[in-house]
Amino acid sequence: MRLRLKGGRVLDPANGENGVATGSARDIEILDGRIVAPTDQRADAEYDLGGDVVMAGGIDLHSHIAGGKMNLARLLMQEDRRAYPEMPGNFCGCGGGRAVPTAHATGCRYAELGYTTVFEPAMVGSNARGAHLEMADIPNLDTGAYLVLGNDDFFQRLLAAGAGQEQVNAYVGWMIEATQAFAIKIVNPGGINAFKFNARKMDLDEANPHYGTTPRKVLTTLIRAVTELGLPHPIHLHGCNLGVPGNDETTLATIRAAEGRRLHLTHLQFHSYGTEGDKRFSSSAARIAELVNANPNISVDVGQVMFGQTVTASADYMSQYRNRGIASPKKSIGMDIELDAACGVVPFEYRDKSFVNALQWAIGLELFLLVEDPWRIFLTTDHPNGGPFTTYPHLIRLLMDRGFRNAQLATLNKAAQAHTLLGQITREYSLEEIAILTRAAPARILGLTDKGHLGAGAVADIAVHTEDADREAMFSRARFVFKNGRLIVKDGVVVELAQGTTHVARPDFDRSVETEMDRWFDAAVGLKAKHFRVADGELRGGAGPTILKCEGVVS
Amino acid sequence: MAEASTQTIHDVACGFCGLGCDDLTVEVEGRTVRARGDVCPEAARLLKRLDVADRPASVAGAPASFDEAAEAAQRILSEARAPLIGGLGADMAGAGALVDLAVRFGGVLDHYASEGLFRNYAAVQRTGWLASTLAEVRNRCDLLLVVGDDPSATWGRLFERFFPADPLFAGTPRKVVFIGGAPGEKAKGQLARADVLHIATTDLVAVLEALTGFTAGRIPPGASFGGVAVEALVALADGLRNAHYAVVTWNAAALADGDLVAERATALVDALNVTTRAGVFPLGGRDNIIGANQLMLWRLGYPLRTAVRGQVSVHDGSLYATDAALADADVLVWVSAFRPEPPPEFAGRIIALAHPETVFEKEPDVLIPVGTPGVDHAGTVFRMDSIVSLPLGALRVATLPSVAEAVRRIAEG
Repeated sequence: MRLRLKGGRVLDPANGENGVATGSARDIEILDGRIVAPTDQRADAEYDLGGDVVMAGGIDLHSHIAGGKMNLARLLMQEDRRAYPEMPGNFCGCGGGRAVPTAHATGCRYAELGYTTVFEPAMVGSNARGAHLEMADIPNLDTGAYLVLGNDDFFQRLLAAGAGQEQVNAYVGWMIEATQAFAIKIVNPGGINAFKFNARKMDLDEANPHYGTTPRKVLTTLIRAVTELGLPHPIHLHGCNLGVPGNDETTLATIRAAEGRRLHLTHLQFHSYGTEGDKRFSSSAARIAELVNANPNISVDVGQVMFGQTVTASADYMSQYRNRGIASPKKSIGMDIELDAACGVVPFEYRDKSFVNALQWAIGLELFLLVEDPWRIFLTTDHPNGGPFTTYPHLIRLLMDRGFRNAQLATLNKAAQAHTLLGQITREYSLEEIAILTRAAPARILGLTDKGHLGAGAVADIAVHTEDADREAMFSRARFVFKNGRLIVKDGVVVELAQGTTHVARPDFDRSVETEMDRWFDAAVGLKAKHFRVADGELRGGAGPTILKCEGVVS
Repeated sequence: MAEASTQTIHDVACGFCGLGCDDLTVEVEGRTVRARGDVCPEAARLLKRLDVADRPASVAGAPASFDEAAEAAQRILSEARAPLIGGLGADMAGAGALVDLAVRFGGVLDHYASEGLFRNYAAVQRTGWLASTLAEVRNRCDLLLVVGDDPSATWGRLFERFFPADPLFAGTPRKVVFIGGAPGEKAKGQLARADVLHIATTDLVAVLEALTGFTAGRIPPGASFGGVAVEALVALADGLRNAHYAVVTWNAAALADGDLVAERATALVDALNVTTRAGVFPLGGRDNIIGANQLMLWRLGYPLRTAVRGQVSVHDGSLYATDAALADADVLVWVSAFRPEPPPEFAGRIIALAHPETVFEKEPDVLIPVGTPGVDHAGTVFRMDSIVSLPLGALRVATLPSVAEAVRRIAEG
């Protein structure tokens, strides 16, 4: 099957092409789901783009789209589902929800925005099979999941016993393979575990009440593990003290703790709070952005807060328990999980008249605008924790349009306005920078060499947007979206459902760890290790995963 | 044909009660299957297979081929005004196919064992709760409160699984307090290493309320609550407050006021977590009800007891409960692959995708006998905690279709 997209302005930062700046249009050719060099051969279908902007399909590297906590959120927030019923053209009667949309709605709404790949950033190992079943039911998107590690008692025991790095690496490798994960996520390093022993807070150098391990040790050990196993994505870190005023110092110390090794700090906005001012809550975005700018080993995503009702869902039960009191509506779920991790689900409404919420909004935008390198910062709302992913077009306009941004700022809580530099920041993102943030850079940091660009050999995941000075309107509605070379969105509406794949990483590791894993699962967990393991055939309705083989590095 | 040799299969996972044991040993000889060794009576009964010919599919009582039966079922569904897809005893693939069927033909989806689940939802959807899972209970729980009757009759290995010999963290002896019914011999045997106390009462709600009050430092007036002396409750509240990780468990399905018990147990655990750690561990999970419910949440956005009509889903925990929905239904699609659970009394037409040993009071309009996940074919089921799911393997060569296969054939016609 050969397709030709004719006369688009190609915006492909990974290959240094910017048709928007040069004004030159060209054709893109697709053969059997991949982009190929243009030929003169007859195409099975042609699409006249009339100078529209052509980009690779969007890649979201941090969005909670599957797993037990999302189902708990759906269960708890039935009002979200009721308020956002099925949309027309949904094919199967199973769309719906905004903060926690169904699998079907997730796939459709993302596709309409031009996204074709989304990573679930917090898969708990014991819930991996369920998360993969759920991901298989998300249409139109390729997916992948980061395994939550570092709070599990097996790992904590290894650390406490002073195990060698080789032992840790073997364990991490086994867990990645067993759970069909793509990367390692650390959530509140050691804090979730400490909460099970009734610790209520955990700073970078605080000792676990049972194991005596520190978050710093958890972090540095796992950074080394993923490096030596050759995982493409660095440690994806949800740091200590999420949401706590004064966590800026922890965040700065965490960046330094990486000592030049690659580290991704996720939803940085929630970790950039100072204690200045009469309300003891202030923005530290400038300080943190400065250190991020100075450390090329660090990448970040923002976790922008968007006003309105949402539901927060996190493995960070320690923090979520702390936030229970501010749940809106007043209900929440928490769960300690399987010597493995935990979860906390707390509904929340971000209000523009609230000092704290308005300042959170401003802090996120400050980070976006003060971190200089668009290849090291990613566009996220930590869906649904800062707000649903469907708000991305609005967020893009805030980044690209200073007048619009300042007009929004002027409507917010007055005290918050006085506490932010935002009004003085003149930077406006260019279209090219948006393309970097939302496709080229995520593909690069995830090691997906055939995604995020439009060069020959790339997967034909392509989004076409008609240019509009109102960037929110432009990005709300893709004119065309192709998934693996199949047209799935036309004029902003899903016209076909495509089955995606799931990306997994496969490192080599010392398989002698299996004896130990068998023993641990038998005695402690009460489940056979072989039943914990998820087989390839259990993914994507038997189709299996797309495997990225990792080249390990000898330490 | 030579006599089939006996094959012993270890580490068999079991999908019947929801506890998720996966260490069973099973002997298979040709088509006969029997459990051996350390197995609960329910698993032994439900795993057992004899070498008998499968009951054929039937239409209006007359034997029919699988295809004929599927065709007849599709005809009935095409004419149906208000189908109820009930029973829902199916693995994940079967549940997915049944949701597809509801999307295609319309219908209410409910599981036959959902009463307990929805009693718990009265608490979880109103206030939420703080919960725990099996591996946490095994290793951390130093004080277990069992509310209601001894659950060992339903979950034969519950206390064995809760309390292994060498927990990682909980000191010994671990304490177990039965509030309501007394522990039976089986429970006592499995709890031989634990400190077991029984507090008899017929008013569980009053006792839990008082315990929450005492735990939170409030002294409600009265000399006894639910017939239990204040002194005993104060002592128990002290025990709970001083526990490192208390767990409260109950089986809402067996309690007429299970919704109130769930609510009060949730409140008690909430109060405990202010100063120490604790979790609820609601019992349930039979025949993959949790898996079906999980799937509906991610597919439709609603739990069980949801109607799909005209490509729109509507959830109502009362209106779409099996009993109530039957009153409005004209066709019942009854699905029970794990056990020979007969359909409820129903005047309309019945399409049964049933365990071959099911005894019907009235011959269904269409019967398609189906294989059992974990015996005849592989499949996935969820454990009661909704987090862990298990891969069930096939123990013998399937001669009956799975629920997913049968439903797909019906949809295709």
